[in-house]
Amino acid sequence: MTNQPFARLALLAALISPITQAETPDYGAMLEERLASVVAVEFAIEHEMDRTVNYAYGLVIDNDGTVILESGAISDRATPDQLVDFKVYRPGMPSTQFARAEYIGQDGYTTWHFIKVAPEGRHSLRPITDFAAADLSAIPRMAEPIWGIGLRQKDEDFAPYFLRSRVSMIQRLPQLTGIALDSVAGRGCPVFNERGEFMGIGTSGFGERMMIYSQRRRGEMSVLLNPDEAAGFRLAPEVLSAVGRIPDNPFGRPLPWFGIDGIDPVAPEVAEFLGLGSATGLVISEVLQSSPAETGGLLPRDIIIAIDGRPLPRLKPDQVVAAHLMREILKRRPGDTISLTVLRDKRELELPVLLSSAPKTPQESERSYFEELGVTVRETVYSDVVARREDPTTLTGVIVHFVKPSSPMDTAGVRVDDWVKEIDGTVVDTYPQALELLEAAEASGRPEVVMLVSRGGETAVMRAKIDS
Amino acid sequence: MTTLALVAGGLFFVLPSAGAETSRGFRQLLDAVVRIDVREFSYEAGAKRFQSGVGSGVIVSADGLILTNAHVVGLRAVEINVTLANLERVSAELVGWDHWTDLALLRLDPEEVARKGHTFAVAKFGDSDRLDPGETVYAVGTPHGLTRTVTRGIISNPRRFFADSRGVKGYETGQFNTWLQTDAAINPGNSGGPLVTSNGRIVGINSRGYSGADNLGFAIPASTATKVMAGLARDGKITRSYAGIVPGALRDLEDFYDLELNTGMLINSVDPGSPAAGSGLRGGDILLAINGQPVDGRFPEQLPPIKNLIAAQPVGTELTLSVKRGDLTRDYTVTTEELVSRVGEESVVEVWGLSIREVSRPFARENQLPDEEGVLVIGVQRGFPAAVAGLSSGDVITKINDQLISSIDDVLAAAAGYENEPQQVLVEARRKFRVSLYVLKP
Repeated sequence: MTNQPFARLALLAALISPITQAETPDYGAMLEERLASVVAVEFAIEHEMDRTVNYAYGLVIDNDGTVILESGAISDRATPDQLVDFKVYRPGMPSTQFARAEYIGQDGYTTWHFIKVAPEGRHSLRPITDFAAADLSAIPRMAEPIWGIGLRQKDEDFAPYFLRSRVSMIQRLPQLTGIALDSVAGRGCPVFNERGEFMGIGTSGFGERMMIYSQRRRGEMSVLLNPDEAAGFRLAPEVLSAVGRIPDNPFGRPLPWFGIDGIDPVAPEVAEFLGLGSATGLVISEVLQSSPAETGGLLPRDIIIAIDGRPLPRLKPDQVVAAHLMREILKRRPGDTISLTVLRDKRELELPVLLSSAPKTPQESERSYFEELGVTVRETVYSDVVARREDPTTLTGVIVHFVKPSSPMDTAGVRVDDWVKEIDGTVVDTYPQALELLEAAEASGRPEVVMLVSRGGETAVMRAKIDS
Repeated sequence: MTTLALVAGGLFFVLPSAGAETSRGFRQLLDAVVRIDVREFSYEAGAKRFQSGVGSGVIVSADGLILTNAHVVGLRAVEINVTLANLERVSAELVGWDHWTDLALLRLDPEEVARKGHTFAVAKFGDSDRLDPGETVYAVGTPHGLTRTVTRGIISNPRRFFADSRGVKGYETGQFNTWLQTDAAINPGNSGGPLVTSNGRIVGINSRGYSGADNLGFAIPASTATKVMAGLARDGKITRSYAGIVPGALRDLEDFYDLELNTGMLINSVDPGSPAAGSGLRGGDILLAINGQPVDGRFPEQLPPIKNLIAAQPVGTELTLSVKRGDLTRDYTVTTEELVSRVGEESVVEVWGLSIREVSRPFARENQLPDEEGVLVIGVQRGFPAAVAGLSSGDVITKINDQLISSIDDVLAAAAGYENEPQQVLVEARRKFRVSLYVLKP
């Protein structure tokens, strides 16, 4: 009897000791081991007049040298043809040592870019899946300690460094996203928990709002973003889904197409007014001509309230609900059906929509540079005509993609995104025809090329003087 | 050589003695220049607000007509006070307004003038078409409120062309006239005052200067001002015809279009849905003649008269336009419509804190809207239902509850219903091409 309290105390002590006496994780060793999944990537974008060198950090996802880069690592305007000279560096190794890599493509759903390291550079790389938690869907808990890897820049041999923080918040944006108290990894670099299990990939700073006071300026609100390190990180399940989504073409086709534009989430007050209770809805602003949505019977001003019978989730901020719909579409394939419940004139309608393959994108459009004129024109695609509020079922003319400064075209007033309708008095019906006309103009020896150009719904005749 | 130089030198010394300060005409002109204090309202930011301004003007008739700028006195003036040369004050009223030429016409209150026994001088017009670059001119007015200020300069360019799509209180200006450019100092407050020759003849109405530049001032030529003044005195406004042709200068393109020099005008663009578009005209066509009268639009400065040729026709006139397209020349018949501004009629719903404007045809076209339906939001008042719901300037309200909105009257009617019985209202609005829903709450 008298021993009992002591026995209790002993039990309590035994219970506590694993926690209080827990050894600090050996971060150094874990970091060293996990560096095998992290690379620094250098690549060039070839432009008409020059090339720019870019850097990003990537994560190895398999044993075949596949590396993923976040979507922002490569400019939207660059086409796959322009992406050249991929070099992969190992953190902390002399920057004279690198392996070549090639660009594979971008996945439409996850938005990751994929590159493949040449076989000779793959030894000693380890896929991040080697460090995944046993439960692939595991996500860190609120306030859990986490740590990550940052990489310095090329002049410091991309030397790795250690970052540590705690989970401050978990959000669906709609991708599962963690937000740490402070920077926890370089952008594109991995985040781990204390057991060294892969928890996510650094994506962006958190955009802290700060007031700046100085002698000259009174308090000014600014948003501070760390361009190198991230407090926000895409959680592991989102990243690991990339493993099965390596595209087999640069544009990530097949790309499903739905065909609506301007998806606006309703504010909570509006949802309440419409009788949606705590559910939410998405207003469709435009249903694109001859799109699956139009065929499926959707109309502008319809309010989408459910997908495949499931009410739209209440994601915050409201705009995330629109992104959720886009992801629901993008995770399907052309030929799949998506069924939408819409509210129209206070009545609910169930509309199954058969997704088709997305029309050619501006990135996929063919293009050609005319050195003497100083202009790159590209094929007109569906979205170009939609954006210019004209009938997208006939694709005529060509779009100006680049204008060389001080070139004849620049001097004539031609600007990027102008829509060229006529060249030297001939209506341009097709892209090959435009090339012929421009080639003929360059070769003709005539002192000029005259184009009818449309911008903002207005046309203008522009005359480019060709240097003789 | 020596004699000539002497003569020239002699002339040089003689000129100032015949200059402005001693000219009787100039003294008479000074007595005709007035200061204008105006108080007007606006519908900005979801409320009816009042603001006041100061400008200049010139008396041009014995019955007290005053010419000034459209941007000095607008259609919303509630109080106009004119300070005569003898520093006496008389109230005035707006007779007519034309933003396209930035001109407004006022009339001194005849009863007040008679009662108080005020006298004033009447200024005379000169010939603005005969001005030469370098000719000395004087600007008279109220720069920065400094009444009766005379500045001197020269005509820098007698035929400057520029159009400004928002130049007069947000309204279009300069498409139907050229401008006199002068280096006489023109500051805010000079607006509406006369630009005169040394004998005191009005050759222009000072209108604007380049801010941030030195001595680049602009005046509406007297030749334009006299014509517009006559129309304003008669009808209160200038009605112009519209065909929907956006002209361009042909300079350097004659060879390409196989044209003789000084023949024809380029049609750069044809407004969608306009009479010209309806009759089949399109950008890149060459307009050779209007109703048989050949046009010459080689240089930008030559475009306003051609635009005027169309604008001066009565609305609904059938124009025969001779047009060259490629090697073919044929006539197109275009029936004109009335020219309207991008800026539509405005109003305010104070209970919602919402300033609104009609969607005009040009506004719809500029913004590539599918039609003229809806009402444009031009301002919201912080903390009021419209702002709280999230509406903001640039939104086009298309529906309130179940009622489609096509005019500001529709909005005012809905607001009246709300005032009688305040309850939640569902508003559908388009921002650019995105449709959004808002709930206005009492």
